[in-house]
Amino acid sequence: MSMNRIILLMVLLFVIEGAVMPWIIPAGFGHRIIPHFVFVMVIFSGLYSRRHLALILGVSFGMLQDIVYFGHLLGINAFIMGLMGYFTGVLLERRRSTIMMAISVIGFACLLYDSVIYFVYSVFRITNESYAWALIDHILPSLFLQLAFALACYVPVRKLFEGQNGVKPENDDE
Amino acid sequence: MRNKRMFMLMIGFIVCIAVIGFSLSDRKELSWPEKFLKDSAAYVQQWFYKPAGYIAGFFEDISNLRTIYEENEQLRLTAAAYSREKINYNFVEKENKRLQEELDFTVAQKAMYNYNYLIAQVVSVSNEANNRTLTINLGSKNGIKPNMAVTTIDGLIGLVSSVTPFTAAVTPITELDEASPTFNLIAVTIMGREDESFGILSSYNKETSRLLMTKIAEKDKMAIQDTVITSGLGGVYPRGLVVGTLESKQLGDFGLTYTASVELAASFDHLTEVFVVQVPELEDAE
Repeated sequence: MSMNRIILLMVLLFVIEGAVMPWIIPAGFGHRIIPHFVFVMVIFSGLYSRRHLALILGVSFGMLQDIVYFGHLLGINAFIMGLMGYFTGVLLERRRSTIMMAISVIGFACLLYDSVIYFVYSVFRITNESYAWALIDHILPSLFLQLAFALACYVPVRKLFEGQNGVKPENDDE
Repeated sequence: MRNKRMFMLMIGFIVCIAVIGFSLSDRKELSWPEKFLKDSAAYVQQWFYKPAGYIAGFFEDISNLRTIYEENEQLRLTAAAYSREKINYNFVEKENKRLQEELDFTVAQKAMYNYNYLIAQVVSVSNEANNRTLTINLGSKNGIKPNMAVTTIDGLIGLVSSVTPFTAAVTPITELDEASPTFNLIAVTIMGREDESFGILSSYNKETSRLLMTKIAEKDKMAIQDTVITSGLGGVYPRGLVVGTLESKQLGDFGLTYTASVELAASFDHLTEVFVVQVPELEDAE
């Protein structure tokens, strides 16, 4: 029940990212403020649920994003989202993180995610701007959007994932 | 435990590299799971994109109310100019047809510039900074093929990069890059001097948000503020699509040719309807 709800929420966020957010972001900032709501949810699931759930959600929704918006490369989002969700889980799933902790972890995770994607793209020579410019141009502006989103949905999402944890604790060792 | 985790990480990394390698290879067509996922995602996304656009458009309209009077005046002027030119155009076109008949043009030659503009709705925009792929709701069932040009009313915005039965992915022109293996170069010219000017759009500089136009001949008389349009040379991309305005011209790297920077005419935010330009099929005789 709760798992279905999580997946439904993630799919909804995925759709909103691609179809609604371009309209909400003011004209002229379309390429600067870029939503990564699904990624924020993956980090939340690593923080408040099990790390394996975060891994599975990260890999599957990352792959979905890679395929639906296929432009140059396939599979980076899947790899990075899965990896970062998993490691957030490894580091922090046993602690009951406070809101400050959660928001700062999400902030760092978003920075890291955007930077890793930038470096992968520059390794394959798909972009050739400098990292400093990319940081100012889109990584930092989108970080604020992600943090605002994380703050706005903190309470319901934490409840959702912690409820999920309580229902099936025996699946922990799969 | 630690070793197992390390091992899984390595396997994951290898799989990731393998998938990247697979996607970088020169694929003619997408595989069926990709097509299925893209089609179903686009099916859901189109319920969201259009209503969101209407709501956003409503607020934009309200803020535009003030400028509407001036815009109306301008439009009236353009309409007057249009009706004058239409008469002229009809004469020229008839003359042109008569000459084509006399010169025994083949059917293919006559149909060469009969472009078909298919109107398509944007369904979603990618949320990656370096991959701003748009999805449109026409696909191979509607006759869309890779490498077709996509424009808005303002000008060229991109090329179709891959198609599924019901959707197509459009790579925006801002991802144009000489070094990228997936992108072809677009030949352009200057409006009003179509047979004298020549250049090639080779890359987009994201830091200055200008297109770089290279291979301009030394004696080319293109001037700042000229309108850059596609020239259709090469036969892949249609001719006569507005790209932007020329902003500056400077000597190229080796001093033999000039390069110029072009400001794009189209904007990539809040796109609703785009036109896919269908070029008539040329026979493979050549």
